[in-house]
Amino acid sequence: MKSRTQQTSPERGRRSSRRQAAARGSKAAVVVRRIVAIALLLVLWQVAVLTGIAPGLTPRVDRVALALIEILGRADFWLALLQTVSAALTGVAIATVVGVTIGLLVGSIPAAGRAVGLILDFGRSFPTIALLPVLILVIGANWRMEVLVVSLAAVWPILVQSLYGAQQMTSAASEMTRSYRIPPLLKFRRVLLPSALPMISTGIRIAVAISILVAVGVEVLSQTPGLGRLITLAQGGGRWDLAFAYLFLIGCFGWGVTALLARAEGRLLRWNRLGEK
Amino acid sequence: MSEVSTATAGRTLSVRGLGKSYGTGADENWIIRNLDLEVPPGEFVSIVGPSGVGKTTLLRSLSGLVPPTEGGVFIDGDELRAPHPEIGVVFQDYSRSLLPWMTTVENVAFPLQGKGVGKAERLGIAERNLAAVGLGGKGNLYAWEMSGGMQQRVAIARALAYDSKILLMDEPFASVDAQTRLDLEDLVVDLHTNLGVTIILVTHDIDEAVYLADRVVVIAERPAHVVDEIHTGFGSHRDQVETRSDPRFAEARGRILTLLRSGVAAITQSVAQP
Ligand SMILES: Nc1ncnc2c1ncn2[C@@H]1O[C@H](COP(=O)(O)OP(=O)(O)O)[C@@H](O)[C@H]1O
Ligand SMILES: [Mg+2]
Repeated sequence: MKSRTQQTSPERGRRSSRRQAAARGSKAAVVVRRIVAIALLLVLWQVAVLTGIAPGLTPRVDRVALALIEILGRADFWLALLQTVSAALTGVAIATVVGVTIGLLVGSIPAAGRAVGLILDFGRSFPTIALLPVLILVIGANWRMEVLVVSLAAVWPILVQSLYGAQQMTSAASEMTRSYRIPPLLKFRRVLLPSALPMISTGIRIAVAISILVAVGVEVLSQTPGLGRLITLAQGGGRWDLAFAYLFLIGCFGWGVTALLARAEGRLLRWNRLGEK
Repeated sequence: MSEVSTATAGRTLSVRGLGKSYGTGADENWIIRNLDLEVPPGEFVSIVGPSGVGKTTLLRSLSGLVPPTEGGVFIDGDELRAPHPEIGVVFQDYSRSLLPWMTTVENVAFPLQGKGVGKAERLGIAERNLAAVGLGGKGNLYAWEMSGGMQQRVAIARALAYDSKILLMDEPFASVDAQTRLDLEDLVVDLHTNLGVTIILVTHDIDEAVYLADRVVVIAERPAHVVDEIHTGFGSHRDQVETRSDPRFAEARGRILTLLRSGVAAITQSVAQP
């Protein structure tokens, strides 16, 4: 690492270290501001419930906190979490393989890229959840059906991002691969895919966020086992504190996964950030 | 230097009646027409012409990247229809032709992977060729950690590692600073002398063309064609101060300058009166 920094011009090295220090400073400030905002929100919520401004069934913050602790000690919660998460991530995995392959193949043909625009717009705006009754009828209200619905919803952002990603390959890179007779498969793996990776990873992040929403939504609507089902059960039993606690945990989980992905992306695509001029 | 592959059996590159046009019918625009050129194995030819005359277009035709509209390019008599396994290209836009997600040594080894050379072997070849261009031990850097001159050396090492018998270079030193430019010029002269590869270098810089080459081919006018050829006669020895003050250098330079000035006038006229 040390020997590398020596190679860059001092001008650039100095600038980037100053930028890093500035970034670290503002990062801490952002964290503080976030905590303050969340605390403020919780106080407002509590006040609203106690003064009766909030709708009648809204539970108190302290009740939700207690419910949270209760949930974390229960086996059915962890099982439901596993079911929901496994369905969401399996769906994203399938959507990634399908979306990236089709997106890159179609995106690397200039004429095809324009032709599929309409199909993409249609697919993107299609309400996948509307397919639910049909799919329940054909497959049943089970994990496999849930995975299918998730991948149908998650494939679009990945497909769109891969399609645009394929167009990020510069003409210089494509001239180079042609003049050095790089075989198609090697070009796909080592040139086209990395060129598109920054855009693909954004697509995957969007898809993961969607996948958790869709998985929980499917569970709520179809009573497929998972967190969504636990929420409806809690509501049915009048346990709104439990329902809110589940929602809170789902939110935390989605945020955690997205943060983790952003980190992995930062590490994997280091060349992308540092390479820009 | 002995570790780096040497071109044993060279190839003759011939260009016969080459024409390249863009557009069709009334819009057909001939960039190059009736261009003839013969480059025997091991020669260093520079092709000089004003900006926009069609040098890049010519080089892309020589590399098999674009099909000629008329005539053809031949390697040892065989018509070139696609990029050739023994022709290495150093592009004008060299920094973009290096892949930013690969280290330097991976970039140099990449074309060899396409040729089916095993990993250990191709990395070894890449390291040796990096050393040959003065970048020994720098294989783990990324292109964006390097100066423009170093990036250009990587692009040259890649072309050499490919085991090219013919090296095509498009304005390779156009965007580096003056001192780096002199260093790179001497590097290319040394590589040519030591490896015996054919080099065809395209440039708009008359001094550079004369300094580097055994023969300077001047292209001009629209459509572009060969208007003059000058054998410099410097042999294999070059010195940035000595060679440039050689009377033959001044004479060649003067002759090309005069030619190109009238050539530029001709292009301006043909553009002004379509
Ligand atoms: N793909 C293309 N389509 C149409 N015209 C082109 C194309 N490529 C190059 N040209 C034209 O050919 C001429 C010569 O370009 P080029 O070969 O890049 O010149 P040089 O490298 O000598 O500066 C220019 O007028 C340019 O506009
Ligand atoms: Mg050019």
